[in-house]
Amino acid sequence: MKRILSTYTELMDRVSVFLGQACTVFLFACIAVSALEVVLRYGFDSPTVWSTELAMALCASAWVLSVGYVTERSRHISITMLELLVGPRTWHVFRLIQMLIAAGAILVLTLALWDPAMKAISRVEHSGTAMNSIQPTYLKALLVVGCILYLLQLLSNIIRWALGTERETSGGH
Amino acid sequence: MGIESITFLIVAALLALMALGVPLGITTLTVSLGTALLYFGERAGYFIVAANVSEVLHKYELIAVPFFVFMANVLERSGIAKSLFDSMAIMGGRFRGSVAVQTCIVAVLLAAMSGIMGGEIVMLGLIALPQMLRLGYDRKLSIGIICAAGALATLIPPSVVLIVYGLAAQVSITKLFAASAVPGLILASLFICYILVRVRLNPAMAPIFDIPETGLPFFQRLKFLKGVVLPALLIATVLGVIYTGVATVTEAAAIGAVGALGVAAVRKELNWVMARDAMRQTVLTVGSIIWLVLGAVSLIGIYNRIGGGDFLHGILTSLDIAPIWVIVVMMLIVMLLGTFLEWIAIIFITVPIFAPVVTDLGFDPIWFGVLFAMNIQIYYLSPPFGPACFFLKSVAPKGIELQEIFLAVLPFIALQATGLFLVLFFPQLALWLPALLD
Amino acid sequence: ETLTIQTSFNAGDFSTKYLTENWLPKIQEMTDGRIEIELTPSGSVVPSRDTPEAVAAGVIDGDFTSVNYFAGLEPAYAIMGDLISGYDTPEQMLGFCRDGGGEAMMQKAADSVADGEVTVVACGPYSREALVARVPIRTFEDLEGKKIRSPEGLAAAVFQAAGASPVAIPFSEVFGALEKGIVDAADASAYVNNDATGLHDVAPYPLYPGIHSMPSMQFTVNTETWESLSEEDQAALRKWWYDAMYAMAAEVSKKDQELAARDDASEDIEVIDWAQEDRDQLREVAREQWKAYAQKSELAQEALQANLDYMKEIGLFKD
Ligand code: NA
Ligand code: NA
Repeated sequence: MKRILSTYTELMDRVSVFLGQACTVFLFACIAVSALEVVLRYGFDSPTVWSTELAMALCASAWVLSVGYVTERSRHISITMLELLVGPRTWHVFRLIQMLIAAGAILVLTLALWDPAMKAISRVEHSGTAMNSIQPTYLKALLVVGCILYLLQLLSNIIRWALGTERETSGGH
Repeated sequence: MGIESITFLIVAALLALMALGVPLGITTLTVSLGTALLYFGERAGYFIVAANVSEVLHKYELIAVPFFVFMANVLERSGIAKSLFDSMAIMGGRFRGSVAVQTCIVAVLLAAMSGIMGGEIVMLGLIALPQMLRLGYDRKLSIGIICAAGALATLIPPSVVLIVYGLAAQVSITKLFAASAVPGLILASLFICYILVRVRLNPAMAPIFDIPETGLPFFQRLKFLKGVVLPALLIATVLGVIYTGVATVTEAAAIGAVGALGVAAVRKELNWVMARDAMRQTVLTVGSIIWLVLGAVSLIGIYNRIGGGDFLHGILTSLDIAPIWVIVVMMLIVMLLGTFLEWIAIIFITVPIFAPVVTDLGFDPIWFGVLFAMNIQIYYLSPPFGPACFFLKSVAPKGIELQEIFLAVLPFIALQATGLFLVLFFPQLALWLPALLD
Repeated sequence: ETLTIQTSFNAGDFSTKYLTENWLPKIQEMTDGRIEIELTPSGSVVPSRDTPEAVAAGVIDGDFTSVNYFAGLEPAYAIMGDLISGYDTPEQMLGFCRDGGGEAMMQKAADSVADGEVTVVACGPYSREALVARVPIRTFEDLEGKKIRSPEGLAAAVFQAAGASPVAIPFSEVFGALEKGIVDAADASAYVNNDATGLHDVAPYPLYPGIHSMPSMQFTVNTETWESLSEEDQAALRKWWYDAMYAMAAEVSKKDQELAARDDASEDIEVIDWAQEDRDQLREVAREQWKAYAQKSELAQEALQANLDYMKEIGLFKD
């Protein structure tokens, strides 16, 4: 059992880091698309109808898909004032509570996002703009994927807590 | 349950979760979900949170944040930031506190090229904070300067806060921009005066950069300007593309990101590993910021729908005081809401109620818009829900905790309040510039 | 009972003030105090694009919004939302909704996105949008090559077909984009609202009357709530809404004309009014786009047909 669990954490951590680092590609592309739009519009007088929606989709992908990486590195921002007051042992318990609350909140958020996302996918919602891309559908589905990634990585962090294999962290959970 | 008790419960729950060390995005999300489910039941509660959370990904202005963060990461990693601050320190010579003052001035320039706050704070946090600490500046002073001066992005035009206010209250955005420029500079001057006074009283807070060059006469120090040239060129380019109409504010940030790579290339410091690492840091930073934003906006709509407006109506109609004090009360309410609500939610709740009253009392809605934007400055900094502090924390060097940031910004909140009351009691500070437009 | 209705107006819009001062008290009178309406500003409870489902879920009791926002959900909303160059006055289109097939059509569209949980009480526009421009666009030919910011719906397709380049910048950047010349023109709001936000300071060549763009609104109520009302109150709500919209259309049109006349006489602003022949040319182009857009769904086809039938009936359209 313990081996299965630690294999899960190894695997999940690797997936999160891989996805997070892959997000760099999305952001580079987002910068390129935005800069290209300026060149095309100002230099060649031919603005595109797709750059805004594409840039937003790329940037949103990076924001959302990086969540596992951020969670794995414990980079979520939080107040750690009580750590000094309650001492390291109690704080250790607090860390579990923090992760459980986060998991609960994200689980409920996933449930909240689930139906709208499924509905959007089944009827394919478009943006209704000149480009009329499927951006709204993509973003709704993306957010659900992000929440699930967040949950899976939280699970990995909780297992690490239980197994005592946590890395040193700087705040966050 | 009355709205007063709900408000109290929301604030209490937020404080409790924050104190427990729950990440801030999760804190606001948990409270929103709880409120929504209890108040609306499952279906409607789920829907209101899901709809408002999803909307964040549709906010185009936000894509400027990663551009700024990446720009800053490149400048920091390539050593440009270090030589910029060395040059600044040498140029400042033996003048105590010169680097802090120069940082304020750079912040004002950055504010003129960004309409949203997050990007600028993160940028200053990455570039200026480590350098000021390296030069021996007091930690709290440095942190406070960066949060307060970085928040100026939404007071000095362009500003998304003023645009949203202008649309909500239907007042001229041109005039709002004109009216906010001077108050923005007043705040910056207050920050600078404060720095100068503090470092006079306590010289240890701002050591002189103790190398022989700083002792040279001014004209001989000019040759050390070279570290400033490239960053200045970069800022000038970004400001240039905005003010000549080549690119929108958001696009200009992308140009800046490309420009930063260009500057690194000129210094022969551009390579794949540097760019990749800068981008990985960017991913981690924006990845943590987005959950803050998602959590913050999940409370939008809910508080409005459960009667936040009636609450304000109740307060305002029970007042029997001189008109100017009604404005003071309005400002206090905005400050109060700023402790737990996102600024867009504050606009949604207060503007429909305040704007007609302001006009009825015979005040200028443009002036009120400036006061509002100045109040939003306080909202950015004030604990417990102070986004500027959260953004700085996302990039601050190891060992700087949120509680330290909160303490560091307190004097600057007092300065912001001073500026706010100056403009409140001397409306001409804001209104003379737009009057020239008529 | 208090119905919370989310609008697509801003808090300070002329329409918000006008309705709040003149018409919200009337619904109470008409129903002997049984019904009160509270209007909340655009996007204040849920984002504008989500109001139909928010009404269905009971987050809000109803919406009073421009249906162009829903064009991406069902193309019929683009046809129903703003049939560019179709009608001459808001009153004609209000007639289509009230007396023609408009309401039934809007109900079908609502059913396609909200599964029968939203009742369309009434629909129609109250204003003609003015096109704000920073360079003079005096004729149809002048549209060629102009960069025009256009939002959801038919407008972008029509501008493109007329030779302009639609630019998809978000609304928060429109102001700066016009000021600096990143776009040449933008579809915005009624003249009175554009005047208030200072758009004419940065774009001093407004086209007024514009290109006959009239964003149609809908007034919906959650079906369960609707069915809980007496028939008398239902009839009162519908009558109230149309009365308010006809009155507001007249008022906005009056205000728009006054302001346009004032500005035209001033040095800083030139109000451009197209000649009939330019309008006809644009209408030609627009009609092609109606047809093309209607291909996107059966419901869109049906919506276009319903509009054409009514326009023929009132003599606006001959085959
Ligand atoms: Na700014
Ligand atoms: Na605050």
